[in-house]
Amino acid sequence: MNCEDIQKLMMAYLDEEISENEKDLVEKHLAECEKCRAEFDSFTQLKEVTDKVKLADLKEDIWAGYWKGVYKRIERGAGWFFLSIGAIILLALGVFQFFKNLFLDPGVSFIVKIGICFLAFGIIVLLVSIIRERVFAFKKERYREIEK
Amino acid sequence: MENDDENLILLSQKGKIRAFEKLVNRYKKNAYFIALGLVGNSEDAFDLSQDAFVRVYKSLNKYNGTSKFFPWFYTILTNLCKNHLKKQDVRKKYLSNEIAKEKFSREHESESESERESLKQKLLDEIEKLPYKFKEIIVLKHFRGFSYREISETLGIPVGSVMSRLYYARKKLKENLKHLKG
Repeated sequence: MNCEDIQKLMMAYLDEEISENEKDLVEKHLAECEKCRAEFDSFTQLKEVTDKVKLADLKEDIWAGYWKGVYKRIERGAGWFFLSIGAIILLALGVFQFFKNLFLDPGVSFIVKIGICFLAFGIIVLLVSIIRERVFAFKKERYREIEK
Repeated sequence: MENDDENLILLSQKGKIRAFEKLVNRYKKNAYFIALGLVGNSEDAFDLSQDAFVRVYKSLNKYNGTSKFFPWFYTILTNLCKNHLKKQDVRKKYLSNEIAKEKFSREHESESESERESLKQKLLDEIEKLPYKFKEIIVLKHFRGFSYREISETLGIPVGSVMSRLYYARKKLKENLKHLKG
């Protein structure tokens, strides 16, 4: 086995994830190769340091309330979804009523009606553009690849 | 069988919220500590880990049971962490202030405290500076104690690549820690 092959096995040796057979191979190589032995020693020292560093746990009451936090977020998400649907329906109805009344109102001049139509058309074009952009961004969004 | 991940997801897909709760409780610590290792801030890590579970819940219909739950969840979580790191300049703050220091448990008190703290801080700083794929593997191995097989499944790479990546990650870390004893 050459030094390159031993490098990977060195990690398995350090992490005690090595078979007896591979262990013998590593030990034999280290006994013969000064360069790899020095590298192995420095890895051992590094592991001693990294093993001492632990991320501190949170308090038990924080863990106890963890699920509640997730549940609230799920619930809020559902709430926002229904609120949005309701708002869209009401808004669409309002807009429809507005235009219906506008065009049926003989008191409003033709030019004002045309102006409002262009204004509405502009808003619709902008909205469609934004929605299309969002849909395009969604298609390229990384979470879409996480279908399993 | 009844409580294995895949069955819990199946039940969650049918609207059994208690099944999803079990899944959350099973993986919440892994989620939090992985996020903490990656973003370096306790509050953000907590928030991101919860957000990942919410995203999983919203995407339950996409899960068809052919693969394991945790690697799927891990991808969602780490994507959130990556986006978070991109959005905010949290790198500079990574475990370098006094608050962050408090987030680490104290072990080996018999050693020289200041020397140990200094070395520990230096180590954390250097982990933060590692390229993402190296940092990720260090977090899984050292902060979560994952086996090579678990890392392999989580990252979707062969065990040989796990060893290789660990080798280069540790080598880089070692090079950066010039003052390491010996």
